[in-house]
Amino acid sequence: MTAASFNATLALIRDTFREAFARRIFWGFFGCCTALLLFLIFILRVDVVQGALATVSIFGNSLPSTNVQNLVQQTQSVIAMVLYFAGMALSVFASAGLVSAVFEPGRIELLLSKPISRTHILLGRYAGNVLVVAANILYLVVGSWIIFGIKTGVWGAGFLVSSLCTIFVFSVLLAVIVLVGVILDSAAVAIMVTFAIMILTPILAQKNTIERLLSSEWSRYVVRVLYYVLPKTSDISIIIRHLILNQPVESWMPVWSTALFGAGVLGIGLWRFNKRSF
Amino acid sequence: MSGFAIETEGLTRVFRNRWANTELRAVDNVSLQVPEGCTFGLLGANGAGKTTFVKMLLSSVHPTSGSARIFGRDSREAAARRPVGYLPENHRFPTYMTGWSMLDFYGALSGMDSATRRRKIPELLSTVGLDERAWNIRLGKYSKGMLQRVGLGQAMIHAPRLLVLDEPSDGVDPVGRKQIRDVLQGLEQQGVTVFLNSHLLAEVELFCRDVAIIQKGKLSLTGSVKELTSSGGYRVTACDVPEQLIPELAAQSKSHRVEHGLLDLLFTTREQANKAVDLLRASQCEIESLAATRSTLEEVFIRTVSEKQGG
Repeated sequence: MTAASFNATLALIRDTFREAFARRIFWGFFGCCTALLLFLIFILRVDVVQGALATVSIFGNSLPSTNVQNLVQQTQSVIAMVLYFAGMALSVFASAGLVSAVFEPGRIELLLSKPISRTHILLGRYAGNVLVVAANILYLVVGSWIIFGIKTGVWGAGFLVSSLCTIFVFSVLLAVIVLVGVILDSAAVAIMVTFAIMILTPILAQKNTIERLLSSEWSRYVVRVLYYVLPKTSDISIIIRHLILNQPVESWMPVWSTALFGAGVLGIGLWRFNKRSF
Repeated sequence: MSGFAIETEGLTRVFRNRWANTELRAVDNVSLQVPEGCTFGLLGANGAGKTTFVKMLLSSVHPTSGSARIFGRDSREAAARRPVGYLPENHRFPTYMTGWSMLDFYGALSGMDSATRRRKIPELLSTVGLDERAWNIRLGKYSKGMLQRVGLGQAMIHAPRLLVLDEPSDGVDPVGRKQIRDVLQGLEQQGVTVFLNSHLLAEVELFCRDVAIIQKGKLSLTGSVKELTSSGGYRVTACDVPEQLIPELAAQSKSHRVEHGLLDLLFTTREQANKAVDLLRASQCEIESLAATRSTLEEVFIRTVSEKQGG
């Protein structure tokens, strides 16, 4: 990568951050994360007894003593799941506008007139968008990980790894937003399609049960194809939970097949963007 | 080096509507050459295909057929656009940016390093006449004229050799227009090629050396402004013209008028004017004045467009 190309990439990423900050939804997300961190700092009190048992008090009310490692892991897993589902939905909602804004008439022509390739423009924007969401997720996860670590002395890496999985799944869903945005120029449709995938994939994750209920072979085949082709957000949420609870992960297939889906969708989005006239 | 800043060959863009089974040839087989260092105006009525032509030049619209070259390089190559600065019509600059950050952003996309950008931005914002107090105000608060100025600034940030400007003085007050014209004239003196797409024919006439008129996607006329506007004719004014001579002179002229004892005749060619002078002098008439008249660019434009519409 030449210096000019690197400068352009940095500019595209910085511009995405600037636009994200101009949209209040990201400040809302940031505010929620900060509120949760403040809650963990000031409200949640954990007294570690003999290094293994802990007494937890919330708003001054003590809960029964419990294993400290277990307590931290369970709490982190709850935070990770909230972040994974609610945070992801919020991120998708906020990012759809960020992607389609680039294709606005009067803005895209100027971008395309610059001496950088269309692939570079779209990937720069995509990377910027992933980094914006990653910054928010890491802020919450690393922040709460440090707070838990200081308060309890439990420093498991599973929670940190889980945040990378969340960012990874978001980057795959963002590829869908990019593709729909490039084809239809519509943030609303991009949100709808992405949410449809987010709703459909947990259902498809129950493919064994569904297949038993279906009578025809072709419909079972359709379910199987959809399951393997679409991202496996539900299966990855289970992997995240296993990582946090230090349990072995049975199969990494959901991760790599989701990565393949993301790469394929992003590839089609880039191809379409390169072919399109504005 | 081809010697041309812009070179198109058979450039065509057809928009097809598969549902309605219709097609529109927005730009039809346009071959145009704009020499380096030239100030060039592209004229045309609304929907004539000017903007599509410019968009094809800058690769935001893919041509159906034909090719476009910028300084000899295929315009589809990203590197071909490095020496180009562009100000689009109906631009929508991101409102969250400030004047400063906008120039910084587009400068970086044009391949400039940050030290050069920091040095050039204040210089350029001053050049385009943007008040220093506005530099760090969001573009959402800018007036149309201020947006045009900052837009021109972003087009010039990387010292381009070719400036493509779509309606650059749109929304700018007369003083601002003069300022923009002065900036462009300064660039012209530095050898920058300026390609102007404007509805303001008087402005094009004042600034451009060459023009092309595009009509229904096709190139109708190209030439230098001087040549195109010099074909207005020749005006001969004489006094003491005998009554019996007037019909003969009027028959040869394009138009004539008698006022306050003066006969005013307008001829299409120099030969016709000379013949009339000979005739008038032979009849002992006094020649009051003799001058070549010029058409305005607007007259040339309207004439060209009307001729094409007439068939």
